[in-house]
Formats: sequence, structure tokens, C-alpha cells
Amino acid sequence: MLGPCRRLDERPWHEVGTAPALVTTPSLPYPEHHGAAPGTTTPAATAPGPTSRGIAWLVIYLCFILAPLFALLLGSMPPARSFWTEFSVALGYSGLAMMGLQFGLTARFRYVTAPWGEDVIYHFHRQISLIAVALVVAHPIILFIERPELVRLLNSVQAPWRARFAALSTYSLIAIVVMAIWRTKLRLRYETWHVTHVVLAIVAVGAGIAHMVGWSFYLDDPWKRGLWIGLTVFWVGLLAYVRIFKPLFVLRRPYIVSEVREELGKTWTLIMRPDGHAGLRFRPGQFGWLTVFGSPFKISAHPFSFSSSAAVSDGHVEMSIRELGDFTDEIAKVPVGRRVYIDGPYGAFTMGQPADMHVLVAGGVGITPMMSILRTLADQGDKRPVVLVYGSKSWDVITFRDELEALEARLDLAVVHVLENPPDDWTGERGFVTADVLRRHLPPPYADHEYFICGPDVMMDAIENALEELKVPITKYHSERYSFV
Amino acid sequence: MRRLLADRLVVATGTIVVAMSAVFALVRVIT
Repeated sequence: MLGPCRRLDERPWHEVGTAPALVTTPSLPYPEHHGAAPGTTTPAATAPGPTSRGIAWLVIYLCFILAPLFALLLGSMPPARSFWTEFSVALGYSGLAMMGLQFGLTARFRYVTAPWGEDVIYHFHRQISLIAVALVVAHPIILFIERPELVRLLNSVQAPWRARFAALSTYSLIAIVVMAIWRTKLRLRYETWHVTHVVLAIVAVGAGIAHMVGWSFYLDDPWKRGLWIGLTVFWVGLLAYVRIFKPLFVLRRPYIVSEVREELGKTWTLIMRPDGHAGLRFRPGQFGWLTVFGSPFKISAHPFSFSSSAAVSDGHVEMSIRELGDFTDEIAKVPVGRRVYIDGPYGAFTMGQPADMHVLVAGGVGITPMMSILRTLADQGDKRPVVLVYGSKSWDVITFRDELEALEARLDLAVVHVLENPPDDWTGERGFVTADVLRRHLPPPYADHEYFICGPDVMMDAIENALEELKVPITKYHSERYSFV
Repeated sequence: MRRLLADRLVVATGTIVVAMSAVFALVRVIT
């Protein structure tokens, strides 16, 4: 399953934006000498770092693919065939295992995604699917070259069921990839695509295992057959976890919309209060999957950053959403009193490292997680220096412009507006956020600061390159992109 | 930068899986 966000990066970066569909970098413990951020539990000092934990998960991932394959070598085995036949069969088994594990990559396990960040996990999910499909497709191609008589199995009318299942699985996988890559060009609605994506994935994996069991070459042993069928049940269980069990939990913790506030820049803030529970506790910069229309079981949740302070005591949360011409246009019409659902919090776009200064770089509505960070710091009376470099199209559409001015009085905050179309009397920064802009407003050494970057891909790439130019290591910045896919 | 990291992970994973599939086939043929 691919991520839920619309691709926004083809547009100018200042125009882009619903609240970010988050992709985050690993977080680190909030420094103890600054006190834990609200709603956080500070990881133990002895806890493994993101890198070691991330590598551990990668090893586990590989084990889930390769161990069931090599288990086929145990016990009684059928007579060996040629190298290429055996190789093609191994590719088929590996490809199916990779496809099955795709359900796990998007199952929203915080412990799994935290070391890598949501952006890496979702990007990996999308890219690895190409490898998996390539392996699955390579399986019959190698077989057809090695044993041309098998080409007749492509005739699904006359082929046995085990071959029909193989064809069904392969065609489903190809359809998944085509729809995921060209969803925008195919003009598929997100919800339609998502439902189709899930159904095709189940068909692909189900038909794949039916093909294996039907062929029965390696799965003649009951325990081997049980192992692979069990694996399939496990994969589908991962899907059930995120589509059935999680929504059940979310359903029991609804929120009520108490206000819909208009902001500058065609942006609307939903203010939501917990209904019959204490509310969730998030760290500033995190996000949640919001369901405004329908129940949590409906595949219509979209990820949005929390824009409110994490230090509030009444449990209310706010999400600020920009009109983009899709379902986000309906946000302004959401009636007060509507019941909505939030699955979260997720993401690791939060303050973590000891730093002499925090630098927030926002483009367009990428300001929303920054607002949560700034509001929380203000509520906590935090006086550490913060610089916000904020790119917008013009002065009139700067979301949260007035509140940022007010926050400058409450925090040691300097706001640097960068306008693409500034008014004639504008004396501030013009154009886009570049390394030169950062040099002009940040004191060296640049590697001593902690950076937070949120905006569309074009801006993100530019800022990441700028930070590289300023010799800022990757461990010193957190990035959050709009698009999951 | 981070997407580049993800791409490298994908290439590494794919390479390992293909290599291990070849090992599987070799083991089958040899033993």
C-alpha cells in the first residue's frame, strides 16, 4: 500500500500545501536539561540509537523474506532441476514474501518507523515494490526461456488453476505498480485508488500463495505448506491490524469540531476537542491521520500535522489545512459539532538534539508543524533562540503571519520571511530560501544548530542541498515532506 | 538526502535477495 498523499511537488512550492502528509526523520530524545516535551517519554539513555535500531529492523525484514525460502531446503526435498529453474522459483518465493511484507511497512507501527522516519519507510515501500514485482515477473520469464513448453500456460482458458493463479497474481501486481506510479495521470481519486490498491494487493498475495500450494513442488511437506500459508495469514493480519483493529480503537476515541477558523492563505484550522476521553498526547511537530467524512473504517483518512501547542491541558488539538482543489476544499464547510477521528500521533519531526539554536525552515503550509513547535515553546516559557525562515508567495497569503509577530514577543524568535512576489517597498528576502539566505540570518558555525525543514519536495531538496553546502551533517536536521507518494 | 538513503536501502535489499536466491539455486543443484 502506498502512502495516502497527493503528489504536490509538481507545483511551485509556495502554492503547495495541504498540511503536510508527513514524512519525518528520526527523532532523538528531548534533552533532559531542557525538560521533556509535553506528552513525551524520554527514551532511556541506554536505548539503542536510531541507526542500530534501524539496521536491526532491516535485518529482521531480510530474515522474513529469506528464512521462509531457505526453510524449503530442510527436510525432504523433490529432485533438483536446473540452476535457472531453481533460481526462478527462488525469485518467485522471494518476490511474494516481499509483497506480503508491504502490508507491514504501512501498518503504522511507530516502533518500526521511528528509526528511519516515515519518509524513508514510505519511499522504501514504493521503491521495493518495483523490485518485488520484477522478481515475480522474472520467475515465469526465466522458466519460459529455460523450458519453452511452459509458454502454453499463458493460455488461461486451458491452463490449470495453479497457472491461472500465477497469472492473476502477476497481473494484479503489475496493476498495483501502474496505478501507484501513474495515479495522478490516470486521474484516480485518492480514495478510489487506495481501495483498489488494497484489494489488488490481497488478490496478488492470495493468488500467489494459491499458485505455490497448487504447484506443490516445494510445499508438499505439510509443515512447509503450513509455514507459507501461515505467513500469508500473518501478512493479511498486518493489513487487518491497520484497517480493522486500529479503526476500532480510533472509533472509541472521537473528537468534536468546536471551531473552524479561517487563516491567511486559503487555510482553515480545525479545532477539535476529545469527546468522552482525555485526548491524545503528541509532541510538537507530529501528525495524525484525520477522518472528517465517514468512519475510521472508511479509507478516507489523510495525514495532517498538529498545528496547536502540545502543552494544552484540555486535550484539544488543531490541524491547519490549505485548500487544494480536492477534499480539502470541503474543510471550510465542516460544521461545528461534527464528529471526527484522529489516529495518531505519528512522526518524529520533533526537537531532540542539544543545540545552541533551532532553525525552522517552512514553505507554504509547511508552517503548521512549526506553529506547533513555536506555540509549545511559548507555552513552556522556553527562551532558547529560534530562527524561522518562512517562504511564501506574497505578503498577503502568509499563513499565521500575525500570530508569528506575537510569538516573537514571547520567544527568542526571529522570523525571516522570504517572498517570491514581494510588494514594491519590501526590504526583506526575495525569491526562495537558499544557502545564501541561511548564511545571512544564521550565525556560524552552522553545524551547531538543529534544523527542521517542512515543505514541498522542490523546497526540501533545495534546503537539504543548502545545508550540505553549509557542512551541516544529516544528523542535525529533520525533514518533513508533503507527499507520501 | 534521506530519499537517497531509502534508494540505497532498496538497491541493497534487492541485491541481497537476488544473490540469496542464486545461493538457494546453487545449493539445490550442488546437493
